[in-house]
This record gives sequence, C-alpha cells and structure tokens, in this order.
Amino acid sequence: MSHLLARLDFHASAGGTPWHRASALTKLALAVALVGAAVAAPGLALLLALHAVAWTLALTSGLPARVLAGAAGYPLLFTGLFVVTLWDGTAGTPLRLVLRPLTASLAAVWLVGTTPYPDVFAPLSRVLPRSTGDGLFLTYRALFTLLGRAERLWRALRLRGGLAGPARRRLALAGESLGTLVVHGFERSERLYATMQLRGHSGRICGCRHWTEVSPADAWVAGAGLVLIAAAVVLWRWP
Amino acid sequence: MSHLHVPDGVLPAWLWIAGLALAMLLLSWRSGAADPASPRTRRAIATKGALGAVVLVAMTLPLGPLDIHVTLAGLVGILLGARAAFEVGFIVSAILALMGHGGLTVVGLNALVFGVAAGSAGPLYALLAPRTGAAAAMMWATAIGQALAGVGWLALALAGIESHAGHEAGRHAGRLAGIGLPLWAAGIAVEALVAFGVGRFLARVHPGLLPDGAARAASGPTPSTRGAETAAGTPVR
Repeated sequence: MSHLLARLDFHASAGGTPWHRASALTKLALAVALVGAAVAAPGLALLLALHAVAWTLALTSGLPARVLAGAAGYPLLFTGLFVVTLWDGTAGTPLRLVLRPLTASLAAVWLVGTTPYPDVFAPLSRVLPRSTGDGLFLTYRALFTLLGRAERLWRALRLRGGLAGPARRRLALAGESLGTLVVHGFERSERLYATMQLRGHSGRICGCRHWTEVSPADAWVAGAGLVLIAAAVVLWRWP
Repeated sequence: MSHLHVPDGVLPAWLWIAGLALAMLLLSWRSGAADPASPRTRRAIATKGALGAVVLVAMTLPLGPLDIHVTLAGLVGILLGARAAFEVGFIVSAILALMGHGGLTVVGLNALVFGVAAGSAGPLYALLAPRTGAAAAMMWATAIGQALAGVGWLALALAGIESHAGHEAGRHAGRLAGIGLPLWAAGIAVEALVAFGVGRFLARVHPGLLPDGAARAASGPTPSTRGAETAAGTPVR
C-alpha cells in the first residue's frame, strides 16, 4: 500500500491531464455525486452506467495501470466476504455488491490521483472541526517521511532474522520495531510543534486557495457531471 | 478488526449517515472550548498528526495472509486518551478512504469502531499497568479493546446483511460468522502481540511516553525488560 500512496501522491502533482487542471471543488462535487449515486442506485443498469463513468474517469486520469489495479483490487478482497455471505444464487446481488465499492474507490482514486493533497484537504477542512482539519494536513505530511523509515526498518528486521521463527516472537519483534516509529513520531511532533510556534500558527492550517479556482478544464468535469445526471434520470427506474 | 472493511453499498443508508453524523458530533464536541492558538492545542495537534501517520504506516506493513495488518488503535488510545484517539481514527479512516482503502461512506462508522477499541484500551491499561507491567497491560488492554471493536464490526456487518437478505438474514449471518470469527480472533491475537512488543519497547526505552504511573509499571514483572537499561542509561528495575 505504501507504494500506491506514494505513486498517487506523485501523479497528483506531476500529471498534466485536463482533470489535473480542473479545480478541486468541482472534482470533489463530481466524486461525491458519483459515490452517492452508486450507493443509492436501485437497479443494475444505472450501476453499470455509473461504473463505466468511473472507469472512464480513472483511465483518462493518466494514472499507471498498476496503480489503478491496486486501488480497484483492494475493495474486491473485502467485498468477497460479503459476496460469499450474501450469495443467493443470482447474478444481481454479487454484481451490486462488487460494482458499488469498485465505483466508489475508482472515483476516490481519480480525485486523489489528479488533485494535490492540499487542494483535496482544504475544502474538507472547512467542514471539519478545526483541530481535525489541521490533523488531516499534518498526518498526511508526516506520512511519507515515516513510510521511508518504516520500509528501511522492515528490511533491516527481515535481514536480521526478525521476521523468522514462531509467530509470537515475530509479532512481538514487529511491535518493538513499531515502537521505534512511535518514539520517532513523538520526537517529530515536538519538532513540528516548534515549527508551528516559529511560523506563528494562528489556529488553522489554511491549505492553498487553488481549490476554488475554476479553469476551462472544469468544462470536462461539468461534462462528466451532465453524463452522470443524464444516466441517473434515464436509468433510475430500470431494473 | 478496528479497521472496518465493510465496502460502500453494503450498509443501509440510514446507518452510515447516522454513523457519520455521530462521528461529526463527537469531533465537534468541546472542540470549540480549546483556544486554537494556545501552545497546548498546538502541541496536541502536532502529536495527533504524528501518531496518525504512525497508524497509517503500521497499516501498510503486512503481517500475514489476507492483508492482515495492525491498527494500533489500543496504543493510540493509551497514549493519547479516548477523545484524541477518536480524532486520529477519523483522520486515518478519511485518508484511507480517499486512497480507495475502506469505504468512503463508512468513514464515520470506521472512526467510531476505531474509537471503541482506543477508548476502551486507555482505562483498561490504567487499571492493569500497576499489576502486570506496561507491556502485558498494553497487550491485554489492546486485546479487550479489539474484541469490543469486533463486536461493533459484527453488529454493523449483520445490519448490512439484514438490509440485503431480509428474512433469510439468519442463514447469511451464519456464513458471515463462519468466515468472520476466525479472522476476528486472528486480528485480536496479532494486534495484542504487536501491542506487547510496542509496550515492552516503550517501557524500556522511553517510559516517559506512557501514561502516568506507567513508568513505575515499566519496572514491573515483564521478564524481558528485567535488568535491561534504557537508552538514557537508567536501569529498569
């Protein structure tokens, strides 16, 4: 998952498709509408149409196939549990159970893979309590430095035989390794606190203001939104 | 099991909307009381951000088949307290959902289940640490917290089944229990053993991070820490 996170973050900033140039606000609205419609869709016809829209968005986002496959495949693992549990001998129930989360995760990955994280978090932090909004920014910023450290630590643990032997020993050693990350996390939070003091943190991390800037590329988002609305209107009553 | 893997579209709308509303209510509760520019608030935000990242990183480390990974919910609850841990749970769930990991609609429920594991681990640890030492207390508090969170997870999954299967829900619930309960048990065992390792490490190297009284507990009867020395050179009794 760490590689998926890093690659999504990279492509969000480095991509050059029209989706990357569109404003975060319109993309967020489209993603929310797509997820909402997929979850509420009463029939398979509409769900299939929404799924096609989600794939179109994802495939035109410039994200590598491996990233898309990783993002799309992850929910399938857990959907499988419910497909088996709710198996009723029909094709409709498993299809619904698979298409809904798949559509939602593709919409989320399209949004995050075409929008730098400050632009995604800025509108979210406006609706969340202040400390939670700030926590979103700081958690995400801290994540990538810790990911690199965790990978080196895991590699060292494997090379030194820490991941061999009985499960009880392996897991306790894994816990000790995570303990070093916890200590590092606390030390990092002290440095972060000092930085916030120095920079005069006034009680809110504002993020950048690009998320509201509408450009001609937003016409593509509006077009996709119109397709979504048309599909919902035409296919809502279809089985 | 404190990381809810119920996909989007399985749970009825009233349930995930209520979960999201309750989560927002809990996040907002007393959030306006603290002065946002005060040093204490800044320090708390920085700590939550750092520990949230540790939780996310821990979730990326594979510990077994079927993508079993730890959540560190118990640890976060013990180190930060229930309210801050719940906030960390919400932030982590939101970031994961944006990456396509975990449903977008179940972010609120996800945070609530994480909050159950974290919120129950803190008081349990305080109760157990003076008797058993930091590492064992962290292990048992995490295990019990995870078990309670698992009950919440199963209740939600059953609600999802009920909404899909109607009168045949009983038969489907049996199937879910057959698959879910072994995963639940494995999740608790993995999380508890990892928590034991984290507790052992913190007690030995940085007991000051553990809650009040834990430094004393660190000198308790944990065999592996007896006779060892901390990084600062202070012997652990």
